[in-house]
Amino acid sequence: MKTALSLADILARPDVWCADRLAPSPLPTLASGFAPLDGELPGGGWPRATLAEILVDGSGLGECSLVLPALGRLRSEGRWSLLIAPPHRVNGPAWAAHGVDLTRLAVVAPARPRDALWAAEQALASGALGSLLLWAPCVDAAQVRRLQVAAAGSNTVAFLFRPARAQSESSAAGLRLLLSAAARGSLAVNLLKRRGPPCTRTLILEPQRPLYENDKSHEFHDSGPAVAGFASAVSGARSQRTLAFA
Amino acid sequence: MHLPYLALEANAPLPSPSAVVEHGRILLADQAASEAGVTQGIGVAAARMLAPTIALLMREPAREAAALQRLACWAGGLTPKISLTADTLLLEIGSCLRLFGGVRNIVRAAAKGVREQGFSLTCAVAPTPLGAQWLAQTAKSACCLDAESLHRHLASLPISVLPDKTAQALARFGARTLGGVRRLPSAALARRIGAPALQLMARAFGEIADPRPAFVFPEQFALVLQLPAAVDNAGALLFAARRLTAALAGWLKARQAGVRAMALHLRQRQGETLLSLEFAELTADEERFERVLRERLNTLKLNSPVESLALVATTVAALAGRSQTLFDDASSGNEAIAPLLERLCARLGEEQVYRVVAHADHRPECATRRTGPFDKSAKVGQPAPGTGQGLARPLWLLDAPESLREVDGRPFRGGPLQLLAGPERIESGWWDGGEQQGDLRRDYFIALASDARWLWIYRECRSPAHWYLHGVFA
Repeated sequence: MKTALSLADILARPDVWCADRLAPSPLPTLASGFAPLDGELPGGGWPRATLAEILVDGSGLGECSLVLPALGRLRSEGRWSLLIAPPHRVNGPAWAAHGVDLTRLAVVAPARPRDALWAAEQALASGALGSLLLWAPCVDAAQVRRLQVAAAGSNTVAFLFRPARAQSESSAAGLRLLLSAAARGSLAVNLLKRRGPPCTRTLILEPQRPLYENDKSHEFHDSGPAVAGFASAVSGARSQRTLAFA
Repeated sequence: MHLPYLALEANAPLPSPSAVVEHGRILLADQAASEAGVTQGIGVAAARMLAPTIALLMREPAREAAALQRLACWAGGLTPKISLTADTLLLEIGSCLRLFGGVRNIVRAAAKGVREQGFSLTCAVAPTPLGAQWLAQTAKSACCLDAESLHRHLASLPISVLPDKTAQALARFGARTLGGVRRLPSAALARRIGAPALQLMARAFGEIADPRPAFVFPEQFALVLQLPAAVDNAGALLFAARRLTAALAGWLKARQAGVRAMALHLRQRQGETLLSLEFAELTADEERFERVLRERLNTLKLNSPVESLALVATTVAALAGRSQTLFDDASSGNEAIAPLLERLCARLGEEQVYRVVAHADHRPECATRRTGPFDKSAKVGQPAPGTGQGLARPLWLLDAPESLREVDGRPFRGGPLQLLAGPERIESGWWDGGEQQGDLRRDYFIALASDARWLWIYRECRSPAHWYLHGVFA
């Protein structure tokens, strides 16, 4: 017997979408806090139950600042965040200042890369987490697929940080972003893959930068004055804070 | 629940084929040995001839009793009223039917739990303890809920369930089943086989009361499991240890308590290895015990095989009651975090899984402290008043500051660094002279590298006034 399956039924499936439209998101997404990015992401924010791959070389471009507004938003849900194999030591006060609830943040720093992937799979499978941040400098396509499958069964917002050279490799992650530096301290984001039509334009985002309001005046001189040693730097600074315990 | 192979299975894990020997004769043989022709009552020499690789064990009643005790502890998770006979576990389930949702569910849960611990069983449900015992012994998996069906089932039982002497006497005058015996005139029967045998039958049929001594749960949980042979692989150890953790889970449930820490002693020929298992919160969940145990046993390195296991519940406290949620709300995921952290800790080690605490110290290295994932005493995430609040602090700190070159009076890292903000002087820590980070005197700057990375660098105020990279604004 032939089952009559209407086209509308097929299109209602979460894994099928029109090629000219963004895919509907089965779970409510988490707003990223960047309007240009939200406009291009399927469902209008970071997806749950999908691995989001962020391709960036090293650290310091603002890759964490890109995801931290969303993590701060998770705070209201009261769910946990887990950092796995972070590249450096976590500076607690700074994470707290970005709105992350330190009482619900755990760090896993395994000695071997294999353990990091194991921990990530366990964490996703447990369904206990609101968000997961995993740094994996060398993973292969099969491992990414395993992570994507683990993520698909949870409702965790999962980020995988990989080096930019992985952009040419195929990946099972549902969302892939390539980060690079843009002019004037901005962050350029290219959406390499998403559930929807290809995104050709480069998004320019302004993540939170560590500048005080009164410091912004002497920002970004393209040919910045050579700070001739320590003395001129001190004389040019208006915001010297001397912190001393007598 | 009747355990027909208790004498054999109390010794698990066993190699196959194997058999238990009593008084020089085979008492009980496992399946592989039975297929080879080893049956009850044959001599040891004959058994060795039939199955050359057979492992023969002397019967040890003490070990069987210990196994039954462990099972009784485990059954505390099902019902608080338990009594034991030599090879049968009697559970009073009439008062627990509503909790489990029917007879079928509780019997299924009981049978599954016993099988998971490596025992084969036959079970029966009856209104009288002796009736249930006899039905289970004759492997009639009957479920009688009223007196009428009990009578029907018992009537068809053979007289072999009665004591040997009585059964022989009854066989002599032609009775085969209990039903046949009951049809005989009782006054004459009492003269022939004695009143005690009749009373026994009356108890089974529910005509007179049959009080049983209740199993008393031990006050402290410390059970020892003797292994029949020295064990050196994690799988067999886990199998054996699971019997102990199952018993612990039942014992905890019967006492409505939870355990936060337990110790598993692995006794070897020389010395002893201690595994202490800690949990994030009070728990009585058998699966959680097993998960943590598996990770710990898999990573454990033993220098010699283990001969016995002992499980001691070190920290036990009453478990607070918890009501189930009416709606499946989003916060229910939080209860899953503790088992996850336990599991990660068990596999990776406590030092690789941690939480961070903001600490009131101006020195960046000291402003963050690590704490164990289960540490409840530390004030996790308490804001440190007055230290670095409102100031730019990088998300990442380098493990050790990285020395930077100075080119043309500017710090250099793959290109000259552009100083965007600063200096911010941090001068603190005179009190711990070189103990931790020591006395610091630094001028911090926010710098933009030539490849557009945001760095946190400092210049040492003391000579030599070098530049260092200390953090990354990621």
